[in-house]
Amino acid sequence: MDMMVSTLQQQRAVTEQLRREASIKRIPVSVAVADIVRYINEHEQEDCLLVGFSSQKVNPFREKSSCTVL
Amino acid sequence: MAADTAVAASPEETLESLLREAEALKQKLEEERQKLNDVALSCVAERLEQINFPNLKLRRALKGHQAKVLCSDWSPDKRHIVSSSQDGKVIIWDAFTATKEHTISMPSTWVMACAYAPSGNMVAAGGLDNKVTVFPLGGGSDEEPASRKRTVATHTSYMSACLFPNTDRQILTGGGDGTCALWDVESGQLLQSFQAHAADVMALDLAPTDMGDTFVSGGCDRAVLVWDMRSGHAVQAFDTHLSDVNSVRYHPSGDSLASGSDDSCCRLFDLRADREVARYWKESVIFGVNSVEWSVSGRLLFAGYSDYTACAWDALREARVCVLCGHEHRVSRVQLSPDGTALSTASWDTTLRVWA
Repeated sequence: MDMMVSTLQQQRAVTEQLRREASIKRIPVSVAVADIVRYINEHEQEDCLLVGFSSQKVNPFREKSSCTVL
Repeated sequence: MAADTAVAASPEETLESLLREAEALKQKLEEERQKLNDVALSCVAERLEQINFPNLKLRRALKGHQAKVLCSDWSPDKRHIVSSSQDGKVIIWDAFTATKEHTISMPSTWVMACAYAPSGNMVAAGGLDNKVTVFPLGGGSDEEPASRKRTVATHTSYMSACLFPNTDRQILTGGGDGTCALWDVESGQLLQSFQAHAADVMALDLAPTDMGDTFVSGGCDRAVLVWDMRSGHAVQAFDTHLSDVNSVRYHPSGDSLASGSDDSCCRLFDLRADREVARYWKESVIFGVNSVEWSVSGRLLFAGYSDYTACAWDALREARVCVLCGHEHRVSRVQLSPDGTALSTASWDTTLRVWA
């Protein structure tokens, strides 16, 4: 009996989970993709690993030059 | 007694009716998702201009662990890195000078997860000890971090992932027991438990700050689950991976997330379209993905593989644009520095490397 109850409880949890998933609102992929592209375009210039550093000085991990100006 | 509670909870539901409803819901979900699948990301991306991707160069190598490096995390100061290893050690590195600042000995080997607190004044770590222990750093005292350690969380199996959810006061963990859990750091009290994975949880990521209280987890049940932190419920599930999900990471926009899996594929799931929208894979890549990470704009998706390489994918064109070679064993972790100027990789070859 206990096992049947636990199976029922497990299945209830699974079904409740699916009810939650089924009830969410969705948007078309075309809209979602357009938003991803827009976000990337808006932030491209801040992305040092994408567009590079405006000068090596702003790269904190640049190679240290071997001589320094006193 | 148990039967009484079950009946009281819901008298009209039977196992058969629940199973039938579950099947109907699954079918409805599939239909709904398919109906809105009106365009492929790669088709949209074809119309974009091509970008010249810069070459990332190796800038630092952090050597000091005696065995596989399993996890790492950047300090918010953009300079320090915490790493954890199979050798049972947690090391705090100064990444600028490539030197060790602290070495912490853990109670067990296989320290699978470590994380910096948002303040930068504390790190958390754990693994095969089934626990998360926090170590306060600095604070004006010269004491070693280990002398002020505090155990916060305990899972019934290994602890595989941990993070601080935008506060030093709480820790979110994932474990081999298939659960995620939110803990109060001060009291060690369990605040919320998250149960829906059918196997070990391998990875966690927090939604970008302004998105509120949601996080994502990935596990050995091949599932990627999105959770509501307050209710403790899984609100979305993505189950297209064919093998263990080792890594999950929100896109910087917060509207989508990437995952990496033992099926050697990275996938992009859009939260609002509620489905997979892109796949990053090559026939020549047959080894698993251990870790994924985004660049600041979300154009580049970095991935660390078991074939000893890390690479960058153009997330829009779904093409590989750069391969980082140098590690001599599998790459266990890739992570962007907080300001996005460098990428760190951790490897089973005992080293960490910084690329920029």
